Amino acid sequence: MSESFGKIQNRILSDARVKAEDIIKEAEEKARRTIEQAKAQAQKDADEIIARAQLEAGALRRSILSSRIRANRLRVLEEKNRIVQSVLHSVEEKLAGIATSAEFQDALKRFVTEAVEAVGAEQSVVRVGFREASKRHFDEVGKIVPKGTKLVIEEQPIEELGGVVASDSEGKIVFNNSFRARLDRLDTQLLVLISSTIFSE
Amino acid sequence: MLSNRHLETCLGTKERLSGIDAVKKIVETEAQARRIVEEAKARSQEILSSASQDAERVRQDVLANARSRREEILRTARANAEAEASKSDEETTQQLESYRKAFENRKDLAVKKAVELVLRG
Repeated sequence: MSESFGKIQNRILSDARVKAEDIIKEAEEKARRTIEQAKAQAQKDADEIIARAQLEAGALRRSILSSRIRANRLRVLEEKNRIVQSVLHSVEEKLAGIATSAEFQDALKRFVTEAVEAVGAEQSVVRVGFREASKRHFDEVGKIVPKGTKLVIEEQPIEELGGVVASDSEGKIVFNNSFRARLDRLDTQLLVLISSTIFSE
Repeated sequence: MLSNRHLETCLGTKERLSGIDAVKKIVETEAQARRIVEEAKARSQEILSSASQDAERVRQDVLANARSRREEILRTARANAEAEASKSDEETTQQLESYRKAFENRKDLAVKKAVELVLRG
């Protein structure tokens, strides 16, 4: 009996040790899997972080470059505009002083003729006014205006730069042929002309 | 150790005592067995807990490396883009300089053409 009793004891303890070993082995196996899964998941997350970073880097590069290129284009446009405005300013100065040039009489006649024709009235009023122009500057133009046309010589240049303004006798139809008005009407052509002259290769 | 004769003499009483002792012994042995198993369970909990901590540490290390790599990627991208942008700056500066020279050389011609256009246009 003592022999079988001892066997029973040993069996109980042996079973317990086997079970304990199984528990430990199972825990160790589970621990190994846990760490491997964590590594795998972390690596997956890390790969996503890197992939996103590559996309961010591309976007960052594009953002920096496009921002700088835009700023540089703006610098170029500002400089071009400054140059064109400077030319236009010189053009205005030149036009304002046209009365003292040899071209004046031809230009004045052309301006007056255009304005009178544009108004198309039998009796029209033509106002002329140029800087540094005296009455004798307008002797010639007085000869070419149609009969019934009233020529008014202003003391001050019309719209600062000078020019011609024609209207019918009631002032209902007006054609502004001042330098300022002509500059406005020719604005696009002037910009193209100046740009192509200065900037074309 | 008890002799055979002694065991036989005490058999009646002895068998009953042995049964009780045996039960006690079995109970003790089973208690010991339970302790072994309980200790193993406790150890397994320690192993799992430690593994969980290790796993979190591994995860944090891997992610920290990835974040560090991300910063490096962005730093490099920024530096490269800035270098490329500097080229654009230089090209623009050269272009502006060429415009200024063209302006100096062609300004009078441009003014002349523009005045003619206004007078005759």
